[in-house]
Amino acid sequence: MKKKHFVWSRLYMAIVLFMMYLPIFYLIFYSFSSGKNMSRFRHFTWAHYVTLFHDDRLLAIFIETIMLALLSSLVATLIGTFGAIAIDQAKSKKFKGILLALNNILMVSPDVIIGASFLIFFTALGISLGFGSVLLSHIAFSIPVVVLMVLPRLKEMDRSLIDAAQDLGANQFDVFSKILLPVITPGILSGFFMAFTYSLDDFAVTFFVTGNGFSTLSVEIYSRARQGIDLEINALSALMFVFVLALVFVYYLIEKRRRFKKAPKRG
Amino acid sequence: MDIIKLEHVTKQYDDGFIALNDISLTIESGKFYSLLGPSGSGKTTILRIMAGFSEPTEGKVYFAGQDITALDASKRQINTVFQNYALFPHMNVYENVAFGLEIKKQKKSKIQAAVKDALHMVQLDDFANREISELSGGQQQRVAIARALVNQPKVLLLDESLSALDKHLRKDMQFELRAIQKKLGITFIFVTHDQEEALAMSDEIFVLDKGKIQQSGSPVDIYDEPVNDFVARFIGDSNIVLGRMVRDFEVEFVNRRFECADAGIPAGEKVEIVLRPEDLDLVRPEDGKLDVIVQSQLFLGDHYEIKAKDMDDNEWLIHSTNATQVGKEVGVFFDSEDIHVMRFGESEADFDKRLETYEGDETGEKR
Repeated sequence: MKKKHFVWSRLYMAIVLFMMYLPIFYLIFYSFSSGKNMSRFRHFTWAHYVTLFHDDRLLAIFIETIMLALLSSLVATLIGTFGAIAIDQAKSKKFKGILLALNNILMVSPDVIIGASFLIFFTALGISLGFGSVLLSHIAFSIPVVVLMVLPRLKEMDRSLIDAAQDLGANQFDVFSKILLPVITPGILSGFFMAFTYSLDDFAVTFFVTGNGFSTLSVEIYSRARQGIDLEINALSALMFVFVLALVFVYYLIEKRRRFKKAPKRG
Repeated sequence: MDIIKLEHVTKQYDDGFIALNDISLTIESGKFYSLLGPSGSGKTTILRIMAGFSEPTEGKVYFAGQDITALDASKRQINTVFQNYALFPHMNVYENVAFGLEIKKQKKSKIQAAVKDALHMVQLDDFANREISELSGGQQQRVAIARALVNQPKVLLLDESLSALDKHLRKDMQFELRAIQKKLGITFIFVTHDQEEALAMSDEIFVLDKGKIQQSGSPVDIYDEPVNDFVARFIGDSNIVLGRMVRDFEVEFVNRRFECADAGIPAGEKVEIVLRPEDLDLVRPEDGKLDVIVQSQLFLGDHYEIKAKDMDDNEWLIHSTNATQVGKEVGVFFDSEDIHVMRFGESEADFDKRLETYEGDETGEKR
């Protein structure tokens, strides 16, 4: 009886996962099809990949998108980590609550609203739209994510570690660099990865605040798709999928190594 | 030599709770002290003020004659072993123990030698490269002790450090801590709620309750002559009954008069009588000073714990090595020195003063 129940739940999981991945694999599948559209698979070809690698504009945008994601997530991680520490150390509970609420509102508000408000903000300040404005807005919407990833680590952290370090002669800077930072590093790392993916897959905000000279992959794909899907996009999607897969794998490896180091050996 | 001195220290928290109420105490160099009290008595607050993690609201803290009330914890020659050990999880055993010396920028060769010595002292010679998560509770405890001692502090503070260990390991660690303290000759201040632990290890005990020192003295003094019924109940088991002083060296309770060892209390004053269960002996009814009927009997391995009631319905707790029978009428015998008389509201200072008035020539045995 129990075993049967187990099988059903597995089947359910398999179906859900299959449904979620189906569109992606469908896209990737047709990237290897010769022909102009996805109505019928003709025969296997690398042709779309070849055109992709000859499409200098798209490749440049690809590199720029990665650079943007790296840069914005780095800055957001830096600011977000200090922000989380500040929230954690807030003396009054009320103030802490307000700061957290402000942080969470940014997390849940729709991208369209954030994008529109950034657009108004940048034009009001007279900041020209382009790489700079996109970078600033990506940093801004990534900070709350980093705060949310780092904060639990700080909460979990044993306060007596700080007392112990001071007891052993550590000054404020020693406590920060030798105790606090290493202990919350896993949170900082996952915050960084989250911010990176947030920046990578953002469309709405970028669409609002980007100008003529600068575009990211999602915006570029969107504008091309409006003129009819080209299978070159499928090839690009396949590459992006592999790239993200690699990213997740790297994150997994880092986590696993950390766990391995900490895992108790029996005895 | 006095190493730490607290003068009229009061600690009030932001919410108005008074954790310490006008505490003055002196810690001498080279002794083993215990701060003993129930949770919320203020014992950990005293420790945190000594270590420098917390500043007193009022009063002064002196270290070797210097006022250190506002001195940062990192600059005090005092180290702490924390209740949960507070070992740094991202460092291995060696790095943990070396932390204090590395902060002080000592030479690498010197650090290596010092860490090796410290680990040897706590019998963890081969553990230098272990991760903290690989250690048992007892081993973590030893690392915490080594990490504190490697800095050669003048005073070592231990905050409920043995409470997480199982009973057997705790006993071992008690002996070991005492041996380390004797060997290094530095002052240990041990915070605990376990009266057995305090009695077994300390040269001197401070009994705390509600932010005040109730009594201080050697374990024997505190056990034999508790100054009030809090101390009497908290340290060991006791039978406490109401009584009346008849005259010096004679007291009346359970409607009988007994010879006792206390004096200096006005005749007729109401007092409390403390009788320790192990001082009560079961005898034949005709030989006893009290007649009781046995209500229950528990075998505790090394003795029987017997509850009995006298004719006035007072309950008596008796520890006996011999068994008796429930429902049997037995006599209870005790010596006159076993009777300890407590006055209501008498402070420790008053108690000491009163003792001096009639114990002038037998100071060897008591204070």
